[in-house]
Amino acid sequence: MGSRASSLLREEDIDEIKKETGFSHSQITRLYSRFHSLDKGENGALSREDFQRIPELAINPLGDRIINAFFPEGEDQVNFRGFMRTLAHFRPVEDNEKNKDMISGEPLNSRTNKLHFAFQLYDLDRDDKISRDELLQVLRMMVGVNISDEQLGSIADRTIQEADTNGDMCISFSEFTKVLEKVDVEQKMSIRFLH
Amino acid sequence: MPKKSDTARKLEDVGIEIDGDVESAEEDKKAKGKGAKKPAAGKRGKAAASEDGEDEDEDDEPPRGRRAAKKKKAAQADEEESDDDIPQRRCAGNRRRGKVRESGRDGDNEKSGRKNKKGGKKKKDGKGKGKDKENDKDSDKDEKKKKNSSGDDSKSDEEEESMSEGEMAKLMEEVEEKKKLIANIRNKPWRMRRRLKVLKEAQQFVDKFEGALGKGKGRKLYAYKVMMMKKWIKFQRDFENFRTSCIPWERKIKEVESHFGSSVASYFIFLRWMYGMNLVLFSLTFGLVVIPEVLMGLPYGSIPRKTVPRAEQATAMDYSVLTDFNGYCKYSVLFYGYYNNQRTIGLLKFRLPLSYLLVGIGTFGYSLMVVIRTMAKNADVGGGDGEDNEFTFAWKMFTSWDYLIGNAETADNKYASITTSFKESIVDEQENQKDENIHLRRFLRVLANFLITCTLGGSGYLIYFVVKRSQEFANMDNLSWYEKNELEIIMSLLGLVGPMLFETIAELEEYHPRIALKWQLGRIFALFLGNLYTFLLALFDEVNSKLEEEDSIKNASLWFVKEYYANYSANNPNDTGTPPPIDPADIIRGPCWETTVGIEFVKLTISDIQVTYLTILIGDFLRAFIVRFLNYCWCWDLEAGWPSYGEFDISGNVLGLVFNQGMIWMGAFYAPGLLGINVLRLLSSMYYQCWAVMACNVPHERVFKASKSNNFYMGLLLLILFLSLLPVVYTIMSLPPSFDCGPFSGKERMFDVIMETIDLDLPAFMGTLFGYVANPGLIIPAVLLMVLAIYYLNSVSEAYQNANMELKKKMQLARDEEKNRRNNKDSTNQVMKDLEDLLPNNSRPPPSPPENRAEKKHDQGGKSPKVKPGTAGGGVHLQKDVSLASANPSARGPVTRAPGPRGPGPLPGQPGPGRGQGPPPRRQ
Repeated sequence: MGSRASSLLREEDIDEIKKETGFSHSQITRLYSRFHSLDKGENGALSREDFQRIPELAINPLGDRIINAFFPEGEDQVNFRGFMRTLAHFRPVEDNEKNKDMISGEPLNSRTNKLHFAFQLYDLDRDDKISRDELLQVLRMMVGVNISDEQLGSIADRTIQEADTNGDMCISFSEFTKVLEKVDVEQKMSIRFLH
Repeated sequence: MPKKSDTARKLEDVGIEIDGDVESAEEDKKAKGKGAKKPAAGKRGKAAASEDGEDEDEDDEPPRGRRAAKKKKAAQADEEESDDDIPQRRCAGNRRRGKVRESGRDGDNEKSGRKNKKGGKKKKDGKGKGKDKENDKDSDKDEKKKKNSSGDDSKSDEEEESMSEGEMAKLMEEVEEKKKLIANIRNKPWRMRRRLKVLKEAQQFVDKFEGALGKGKGRKLYAYKVMMMKKWIKFQRDFENFRTSCIPWERKIKEVESHFGSSVASYFIFLRWMYGMNLVLFSLTFGLVVIPEVLMGLPYGSIPRKTVPRAEQATAMDYSVLTDFNGYCKYSVLFYGYYNNQRTIGLLKFRLPLSYLLVGIGTFGYSLMVVIRTMAKNADVGGGDGEDNEFTFAWKMFTSWDYLIGNAETADNKYASITTSFKESIVDEQENQKDENIHLRRFLRVLANFLITCTLGGSGYLIYFVVKRSQEFANMDNLSWYEKNELEIIMSLLGLVGPMLFETIAELEEYHPRIALKWQLGRIFALFLGNLYTFLLALFDEVNSKLEEEDSIKNASLWFVKEYYANYSANNPNDTGTPPPIDPADIIRGPCWETTVGIEFVKLTISDIQVTYLTILIGDFLRAFIVRFLNYCWCWDLEAGWPSYGEFDISGNVLGLVFNQGMIWMGAFYAPGLLGINVLRLLSSMYYQCWAVMACNVPHERVFKASKSNNFYMGLLLLILFLSLLPVVYTIMSLPPSFDCGPFSGKERMFDVIMETIDLDLPAFMGTLFGYVANPGLIIPAVLLMVLAIYYLNSVSEAYQNANMELKKKMQLARDEEKNRRNNKDSTNQVMKDLEDLLPNNSRPPPSPPENRAEKKHDQGGKSPKVKPGTAGGGVHLQKDVSLASANPSARGPVTRAPGPRGPGPLPGQPGPGRGQGPPPRRQ
């Protein structure tokens, strides 16, 4: 299966993806076979249902948000390029890349981009701000009915209060970045793709 | 655009470029070396690095999570493959490698292109430092390209060989270069930090690739080294996994924690710790005392102390007798009295009495050491990262879910634990915000403490009074049932009422539940000490009476033996041989107070176990059962209403455990088997209580977060250890052992066995040596020395504390600096981009999406005032004409991170004197 799948991938495509995402050749072919096996419709693109079949995403309270992140706005199909573009956020930052960062602009797996990916999970309406309502929705996904609405509200308020620096009662990306400043995002948001 | 500044900028730029470029060129080279030359090795190296990093990250997570992650992302091949199939691939998978190599080449092309640009710039500058090198390298690459261009995907072995030769040459050159760099690093006009970094990198590079250069043997050795390195890393990972999975009950405890909060989990962690310690004590005692006695000692029935007396033999096997630990139980290896006072036993000449005493002392020594060490370690943990949690809720909000969870059950646990942790934080928060009436609160607290002190004093007096009365009663006959059992009844009533009373009074104080728990523990502990006191008092009374009794029996026993022999020779005058020995069951026995004490402790432990387990069964299980199933046919809602489900009683359980351990410590010397019983008890109660808590209890109304260290529990334990140490040491040092039972029979004092060993087994000079050591003239200075040492260590630790505080402050500063730098990075990057756009042959991927940029701008806009110092630091050695630049020369952190392009690109909204030329010329 793997070899057949990878044969469907053209070399130029691979090269382009490689350039865009920084994955190695074998990683791309490997991920392509994975992509292929997820693609139940066999039409070269993944739908939301395809993603929901992944158990980790199915049980994840934020699973829907993660799946959404794979899809460009307004579309419900994602092709391999898009798939890889999203996955590239999770590529570990390698030592020899750190310096290159400075020269070649930001690769998809830079700290900022990783954080931005996480930010988007919470930013439901994609207005680059996490509002109280959005926080509440996410909280409900995370704790269900075990905590009263009132307390959830106060949690959301507290969260915003902690993070908000400019007083607009929303968390912007920069504030989000500041909150997670001490979190080792480079490490935590990295997946060890096989080489 | 003013020309002057432009050229100036270029100059600066180039100057920086050189600084930054050597590094990046090196990096490139390294990448090439990794990516193209030795695909396998490079891959391995990378994989190893990333694995290492991952390891750190994933250690905390259950192995399963890791597996899930693999499953999720690792396509079809598992990790084994990637680790092990590389050598295979090297010889067989040519096609694939070809591709990889091609990609490497592509990368080279790109890089060389970029390098050319830089080289060009350098030429302009006239410095041309790395020019020749560059050219060489480029030509080298060209050569290689030519070589490679002939064959595409189908690569022959020969080609591979030639290519690797070419690469070999290059690698050789690079290594040489690095070596040169190492030699010359002193002369480079760099900052120290940078120099060190470069030096380190260069050395690593040389170490890594020097081996690869050798032909034949050296290369094989290198390959072998790489392989071994890989194997070693893999082994370490496996070992780490293994170690994590070896932590007993980790999952059980995590499960409890996720549903009941860290406070309940802390009890189970304490229980587990206790189990570990008891296991060590158990193996010590059984390995050095019980097993040798069983294997090598005299068998049962050979001597009086190992035989059930004739009078008891009829009932010795009765169940009721055995459950009282009399009969065969009493004359078994479980108790002190069974051991013989033979100096050595068996072929190995095992010195059992000595071993018995040393193990008894060693038990305490080990326990003390472990408790204190654990406390010290916990204190360490506490100081680590407890401070500054300014974003508690935000962190919980954004980072609590573990995205590697792929199992529904684990996910449930995670849900529960997130909920619990939110609840914990809410409680903490509520406590923090409560500050209405501080005076009232203070008054209430003082009142509560006053009340509790009164209660404690009252119960203390009550105990004292009752004990006195019971001593009077002991001398009287025809007592009523109440009078006989008065002490026990009062004690258990106190134990029942006291904690409840304390809890009620503690309501007044309105402490945070975590602190309230500590107070509660401390108070109940004080109350229970009374219990302990009465118990010990009763025991000492018994021991004293037995000691008195013993003297007379000793005479009777001796007289009996003498008479037996006299009778024997009188009855059989013509038998001149030795008379047949007396049946050991018939000899008159002393009371053997040690065994009595041992039996008391064992009985106490057993009854404690029974009470605990029954309480759980009735108080928790039955209650939960009734509430659950009778609820269908009851007039009010049982679950929400009065009986409801039980909560897990942390304070009671912890104290139970602590006091039980005290009993074990005290009793273990007189009943070596007690440790075995205790190990079984802890083991079973782990499972039993875990089950009970999950099945029958509900989480506390206010789930609170336990303090990170269990040090309060440990402190209680230490206190109990000390208290239980006293009576045992007292008996060892000052009570005479029984004359006819136990390993020390026939000696004045138990510790005489040590003197005996010194005299008989050690060379004579050792005896004199010990004699000197035991001299008060030496002991007093030794004590003084210890006091001095304590004083010294104390002041040293204080000094360390101060140093710690300083370091913390420094860390905070460093963090701030880092913050600034990170904030600056965006702007740096933007400027970089602008620069890149200017350059020809731009082969890099399209710039990141525009919203990114917008954010960055916003970022800078919002933060520019804060950012200033960092910026200045960044520009410090390139922009001498910028007034900001020299403002903060100490912040040189950013310089190491390719400060170059900040020169030309001003921060938007911060036009400096020399760089106020508006937006960078990107849009030309």
